[in-house]
Amino acid sequence: MKKFKKIGINKKKLDLIKIILIVVAVIFSIGQLFPLVWLVDFSLNKTGDLFGANILKWPNPPQFQNYKTAWVDGKIFLYLINSVIVNVASVGLTILLSVMMSYAFVRMEWKLNKAVYGFVLLGLMIPIHATLLPNFLSFKAIGIDDSYLALILPYVAFSMPMAIFILAGFMESVPKSIEEAAVIDGCGILRIVFTIIFPIVKPAIVTVLILTFLSTWNEFIMAATYISSDAFRTLPFAVYNFAGQYASNYAVQFAVMTLVALPSLIIYIILNEQITKGVTAGALKG
Amino acid sequence: MIKLKKLLCISLTCVVLTGLIGCGKSETVTKSTDINIKFFSNLPDRATGQGKLEQTLIDSYIKDNPNVKVTVEALQDAPYKQKFTTYAASNGIPDLFMVWGQPSFLAPIMKNGYVAELNANDFKDYGFLNGSLDGFSTNGKLYGLPRNTDFMVLYYNKALFEKYGVKLPTTYEDIVEAAKTFRKNDISPIAINGKDKYTMSLMYQDLLLKESGDQKLMPAALKDTTKFTTDPLFAKAAEDVKALTDVKGFQDSFVTADYGAANNLFAQGKAAMYYMGSWEVGMDLNKDFSDEFKKNVDVIKFPAPSTGKGKDTDLVAWNGGGYAVSANSKVKDESIKLLKYMMKPENWAKLGWQSGAVVPAQKYDQYLTGKESNLQKKLTEILSTSTSISGVAWDDALTPDFKTNSENLSQEFFAGFKTPKQFLEEAAKAAENAAENVNK
Amino acid sequence: MQKSNLLHQVQCRSQIFCIRFNAEVKSFCIRFIGKGDFMHALFKDKKTIFLLVFPGLLVFLYAVFLPIVLSGYFGMTEWSGIGKPVFIGLENFKNLIFNDSTFITSLRNSLVLGLALICIQHPLCLGAAIMIDKIGGKLEKVFRAIFFIPCVISVIVTSKMWVQIYDSQYGLLNKILDMFHLGFLKQEWLANPKLVLGSLFVIIMWQGFGWGMLIYYAGIKGISEDVYEAAQIDGAGAAQVFKSITFPLLKPVIKINITLAMISAFKQMEVIYLTTNGGPGNASQFIANYLYIKAFNSYQYGYGNAISILFVIVCIFVTIILNKIIKKDVIEY
Repeated sequence: MKKFKKIGINKKKLDLIKIILIVVAVIFSIGQLFPLVWLVDFSLNKTGDLFGANILKWPNPPQFQNYKTAWVDGKIFLYLINSVIVNVASVGLTILLSVMMSYAFVRMEWKLNKAVYGFVLLGLMIPIHATLLPNFLSFKAIGIDDSYLALILPYVAFSMPMAIFILAGFMESVPKSIEEAAVIDGCGILRIVFTIIFPIVKPAIVTVLILTFLSTWNEFIMAATYISSDAFRTLPFAVYNFAGQYASNYAVQFAVMTLVALPSLIIYIILNEQITKGVTAGALKG
Repeated sequence: MIKLKKLLCISLTCVVLTGLIGCGKSETVTKSTDINIKFFSNLPDRATGQGKLEQTLIDSYIKDNPNVKVTVEALQDAPYKQKFTTYAASNGIPDLFMVWGQPSFLAPIMKNGYVAELNANDFKDYGFLNGSLDGFSTNGKLYGLPRNTDFMVLYYNKALFEKYGVKLPTTYEDIVEAAKTFRKNDISPIAINGKDKYTMSLMYQDLLLKESGDQKLMPAALKDTTKFTTDPLFAKAAEDVKALTDVKGFQDSFVTADYGAANNLFAQGKAAMYYMGSWEVGMDLNKDFSDEFKKNVDVIKFPAPSTGKGKDTDLVAWNGGGYAVSANSKVKDESIKLLKYMMKPENWAKLGWQSGAVVPAQKYDQYLTGKESNLQKKLTEILSTSTSISGVAWDDALTPDFKTNSENLSQEFFAGFKTPKQFLEEAAKAAENAAENVNK
Repeated sequence: MQKSNLLHQVQCRSQIFCIRFNAEVKSFCIRFIGKGDFMHALFKDKKTIFLLVFPGLLVFLYAVFLPIVLSGYFGMTEWSGIGKPVFIGLENFKNLIFNDSTFITSLRNSLVLGLALICIQHPLCLGAAIMIDKIGGKLEKVFRAIFFIPCVISVIVTSKMWVQIYDSQYGLLNKILDMFHLGFLKQEWLANPKLVLGSLFVIIMWQGFGWGMLIYYAGIKGISEDVYEAAQIDGAGAAQVFKSITFPLLKPVIKINITLAMISAFKQMEVIYLTTNGGPGNASQFIANYLYIKAFNSYQYGYGNAISILFVIVCIFVTIILNKIIKKDVIEY
């Protein structure tokens, strides 16, 4: 503020601009949030209210049993546990493998470097649906179909190109001198990667973490294809299948959708600060 | 921080290993004498209707046979088909599975030897209605059993007709008239699941049937595709459709309405009529619907145009859903035993009918309690007084690709994106293409 | 907020400076003393490279590359998924390119979506990022969070939600139009083939808005304050600042974003599948969804795989073209 006063810009004008921007932002926000508010609202009403004349209806009385039905019939708890297991493993493995590979691409000197890098980046262009059947066949062939691994492997494999892209980009802008110093001190490459590189690229790792998490948490088509037993099903399946089960009961469907959206929302709100810091700290310098 | 990262990585690897070792497939520790049957169903709702019926019968079988375990996997229709293809391609079709007894689904499967042959003699006394086993057999051999008799009818809401003083339709023209009145009063005349497309193919065939009075006309056109464009009855039936869509006879945006949306619209009293099949028999017993609706829902045969040669007792009827056993099943005999148990008249037919879940494919007069619901009574009457039935409808009569194409065409035609002439020309072309492929 | 940020930055920078300084001294010594060869050898060590690359590469090859190779093979067969595949060479590809109008429609729709994302969504994202940046303070954080929320919700949920909103009789959109006495604008948003694409684009843009905005926001934050101050002193207006400073400095970020937008436009499948499934008719058909329908609904598995191979080829092609177009404009700062 003080800077601008020195240069002599009208403070009032700046305030006005700010206010206009805030109003626009609020309108935008309504557009972003309203559908969600609407979803929650009608999940607490009866299905018939959806066909009524109101845009929003205050639930009176709130039909909490919709949530009870959703939780029990939707097997939310079981699917939640599975989702957590699959996602933690997928995200962890993605980060681990991607950091290792990115370092090899960025710092190590080997003939096939550029070729393999380009090859892995091509993975960004592969349509998932083309791999559904062949993967099912190959998973069955080695006996991992209908298990956690049947989801973890493809999730990791499809998340790696983007992760490597971000990590490699970030690593390129990290000065080599720190590593070279470590080498003099007697560090092996592997130790460098795990003890030095990991902390330095933390912002990029956070970006990769949230990116991978969001795409795998909500993934449903691979989950529906590779998993057959209820014991391994993940959360998105609850919504997917619920639509058939409760085709006539929109309120319960909405309750399921709200329940499924909650974990990612909560995690996002908690980690919001970290995520922005991560992305802002130059994760995309590449 | 560094140590933490390492710890994290190690623990993650452990999770992965656990996933690999501990959570293999569902063939976990069981007694060596235990039989595990995998049951693949298209009824995800295990708490009402046919799904409940399936589950009830499975549960009681398990009680009587404690060494048998049944694992049920249930998906809706579209994901069911996709998963089924995946299973078939990997040669791992579940032991007992749901099938549609129509060429578009079952023919390639039967032809390629994926289904186990059943002994027709075993089912002599099961009371399967005449012709119901045809779609499940090929070359004189039986490969599956039907579970419903499906036929198209017109449900309607008595209260809405009374409220707006609309006469109950006895001819097709009455429906068009009624549509005009309902539209004036902001009520959708007919609710239909346009997104699912097949009901529109069925309505077209229904109109063709009522215009011609000849059940064999449509199957003939599939063989000799010039009929589509040369036989004036086809054009007349198409014009009939246009007459209805011109007065906006279906709900707004019906091409985006799936089964749930159409069903809901009717059940919430926002649509006066509902073109759907006999499988809706349980509507007036459904606990999710209002009492007022249940009191007022009724059903009539789909009326014929007054100039038509057909009668409203000529039905578009077929046997769609059913069950089959996988040819490669390791527990084939046990699965067949379970199938036999389920389809025993006193099990499937009796329980299904009395709970209002199905109109069985077996004789069920002996199970009439006299306490039938209104819809049940009416539907039974419609079925028993029918003068002819169509068998497999045209969209399901050829290849799976023809099903997709013909249903797409029907949807586009009903939605007004194709003229009757275009619709018929392209239908003929699609049928020709299919005929080339049907023997592959 | 500004003050502590500045202090923090200074602290970080001085820390890094110290480390760098130490490191530079050491590496100077190394090179001077001639231990460079040892360093070189370490970074060339085949065993280490193998250890670093192989595990990830293995996973990638198994779950991404192998299925595509299989897909390529299946694309050259006629196979329903049931029975045995029959090899027919390039027949499927020929049919797709020359005989299949739905494929061409899908391709066109995907391209149009890509362009819409680039020309409509991204400017909006950029604008929103700038707007939030200018607002500053606590509100900045709040809006940042709110704008990103749709990205966090599963596409199944948002698709079903939007289908309800677009319902022409009971949906939110038409009800709001009624409320503002704009009833004459009511449409059959998803049933009208002229409007369905636009309606779908809104859903897709709404869902991905947060990501685009966040990336541009990061880019903007990465532009040093000094540059803006200098412009201010020179008396530059807001528009000029944007044109001559912000936009050029963001070019690298924009380039990446555009390429990613195009690829994601091609990959769109879930939204289509869950809303219109390509309808009405085939008006809103997109490549990835068409692939799925052919492979799993029509039992034309070989044909569906041919579509996926063409898909990959088109993606690569488009990426190369985009790179060529943008390369000309990237100015190094």
